[in-house]
Amino acid sequence: MIVARGLSKTFPMPAGPVHAVRDVSIGIDAGEYVAIRGPSGCGKSTLLHILGCVDTPTSGTLTFDGRPVESLPDAERSRLRLLSIGFVFQRFFLLPMLTAAENVEVPQSEAGAPRADRRRRTAELLDYVGLAHRADHRPAQLSGGEAQRVAIARALANRPRVLLADEPTGELDRATGEQIAGLLDRVHVDGTAVVVVTHDPAIAERAKRELLMRDGRLA
Amino acid sequence: MTKTARTFAFAARSLVRQPGRASVGILGIAAVGALLFDMLLLSRGLIVSFRDLLDSVGFDVRILATDSPILGGARIARVTPLVRQLAGLPEIAEVVPLRLVDAETAAPRDGSQTAAGPGSVAFSLLAMDPARHAWTVVAGRDLAARVAELEVLINRRLAGLLKASPGDTISIRVACAADRAALPPMNVRVSGIADFPFDDATQQTAVAPWRAVTSLCGLVDDAADLVLIASREGYGPDAAVSAIRRLRPDLRAATNEEVVTRMQQQGFSYFRQISTVLSTITMVFGFLLITVLLTVSVNQRLGEIAALRALGFSRARLAADVLWQSALLVGTGGFLALPLGAALSVWLDAILRQMPGIPASLHFFVYEPRALAVHVGLLVATAVLAALYPMRLVAALPIAATLRSEIVG
Repeated sequence: MIVARGLSKTFPMPAGPVHAVRDVSIGIDAGEYVAIRGPSGCGKSTLLHILGCVDTPTSGTLTFDGRPVESLPDAERSRLRLLSIGFVFQRFFLLPMLTAAENVEVPQSEAGAPRADRRRRTAELLDYVGLAHRADHRPAQLSGGEAQRVAIARALANRPRVLLADEPTGELDRATGEQIAGLLDRVHVDGTAVVVVTHDPAIAERAKRELLMRDGRLA
Repeated sequence: MTKTARTFAFAARSLVRQPGRASVGILGIAAVGALLFDMLLLSRGLIVSFRDLLDSVGFDVRILATDSPILGGARIARVTPLVRQLAGLPEIAEVVPLRLVDAETAAPRDGSQTAAGPGSVAFSLLAMDPARHAWTVVAGRDLAARVAELEVLINRRLAGLLKASPGDTISIRVACAADRAALPPMNVRVSGIADFPFDDATQQTAVAPWRAVTSLCGLVDDAADLVLIASREGYGPDAAVSAIRRLRPDLRAATNEEVVTRMQQQGFSYFRQISTVLSTITMVFGFLLITVLLTVSVNQRLGEIAALRALGFSRARLAADVLWQSALLVGTGGFLALPLGAALSVWLDAILRQMPGIPASLHFFVYEPRALAVHVGLLVATAVLAALYPMRLVAALPIAATLRSEIVG
C-alpha cells in the first residue's frame, strides 16, 4: 500500500543541516500493524509525517497504492489524506469549539458524506471508542484519554486504509495509555493498517512488526 | 451539501462558538460601517437634496444676469420685454420673473391698527406671481391673480413674529435697491401663510405679486434677480436653454442639472472631500480590525489548522474558511450598520441643518440606492482585503513543522 524508497529529510538550520531521516526504505501493507520506536529526536515523527503525505522528503520516493505522492498537487494530496489516511496526534488537536460528535463529523463532512450517513457513522464510531455518552461534550469537558479516543474516532471517520498515530499515549498516564493502545489493537484487528510511532517499548511490542530508529536510520 | 455551503457552515459554526471574538468584530464593523454609510449619504446628499429642491419648485431652467448662483447680485434689466420675448419661444411653456427686495414691518402712517405692533421686523419680500409649486399655502389662500388691494403671503416664522393671521393687515416698508432709501410704509393684507422651499429655519419671508412690488419700487426699476422658466413638454430644458442663449447671449441660462453641477464643483465639493477622507479612514479601520482579529485567531489555532490539514483539508479549503469568517463578520456588522447609520444620519442632519442660511427642506444626508450599493461594495472589498493576510498564513502553514513545534511547545 505505502512504499518508501531511500527517503531522506534534511532541515537547514543556522548551525548546519540536520539530517532527520537518512536513506529509509519501508513498505506498509494493507492491514499491517507497525510500530516505529526510538529515542526522542531520532526522526520517527518526521518519517511518519512523510509516510502520511503531510511532509515531503528531501530525497527518495513515496508511493501510495502505486501512485507517486510527490507529484500530486496539494488538493489531491489533501484528498488522499482525507479518504485514505487517518491521523492521531500526541496532543489530540480536537477543535475546541465543536462537540465530540461534531469533531468526528468534520472529516466526513469535508468528504461530502450526506448528513444522515454522517450521523450514523459518528454514533457508530463514538460507540466503538466507548464514548457514545460523551457525544455532546466539548473537548475541554473530556479527560485526556477520552479526548484521544475521540481523536481516534475522528481519524477513522472516513474508513481510512491506514491509521498513523504519532506518540498517541505521550500525553496520557500509563493506565489510560494502555486503553488507547488496546483501541489501536482493535482498529488493526478490524482491518485497518496501523502505524504507531512511540518511544514506549510496551506500546511498540503490541505491533506485529516493530522497527527501531536511531539517528534518522532504521536499525 | 456543496463544497461552498460546507465551508460557509464550518466558518459560521466557528464564529458562533466563539461569541466573544465574533461580537468584537461585528460590533466594530457595525460602528465603522455606520460611519461609512453616513459618509456615503453625505457625499452626494446635499447635491441630491438640492436637485430635489430645485425640481420641487416646478421650473427646470433659471436665468441670471451673471454666472454667480447667489441672488442679490447684478439684476436682469428691462425684464418685462424679456418675459414677453421668452414667452414667445416655442421651447418655453412658462416664464416667471422673481425679484427679491428687503422689507420691514412699520407702524402705519395713518395711525390705523395693524397686526405688526410697535416694533419693526425685517424680512425678504419676493416679487413673484403665483406659479406652479413655488410655495405651499398652509393657511388662508394663495395670492389672487387680480385683486384691488395689495396682498402678501407670509411664511410661518414671519406670521408667528407678527402674530398675523390670514385676513390681517400689516404695514410694510420696502427698500428696492441697496443705494435707495426705504420707501414710505403702506398697508398690505395677509392673504395666507405659506411654506417657501428655500427658506431656512430663521428666515422671515413674504411674497407679493410681481406687478404690485414693481409698482412699489417704481416703474423705472424694471429689473429681476432671477427668471424662472418651465420648458415646454416635448422640448426639454436643454432646448429651452439653447433658445434663450440664442435670443439673449448676454444672460446666463442654466438647466437645473447645470446649476447642480456648478454647485457640486463649487460650494458642495467640501462635503464630498470630507466624506472621501472619512470613508477611507473608516474602511482602513474596519480592514485593520478584521485583519487583526482573524490573524490573532489563526495564530492561536495553528496546531488545529495543521491538524486539519493533516486530516485532509486542503490549503484552499482552509483559506476559504478564513475568507468566509471575514465575510460573515463584515457582512453581519455591515448589515447592522445600516439602521445604526440611518439613525446617526438623522441626528447629524439635524445638527448640520441648524447652520444659518440652509433651506429647511435641504438635507445633508440623503439615502440613494447608489449609496447602499457603494456601501455593500466597499464592505465586500474590506472583507476580502482583511482576509488576505490571515489566508496567506493558513495557506503557507507548513503542516509537519507546525505539528512538531506545537508538540515541543
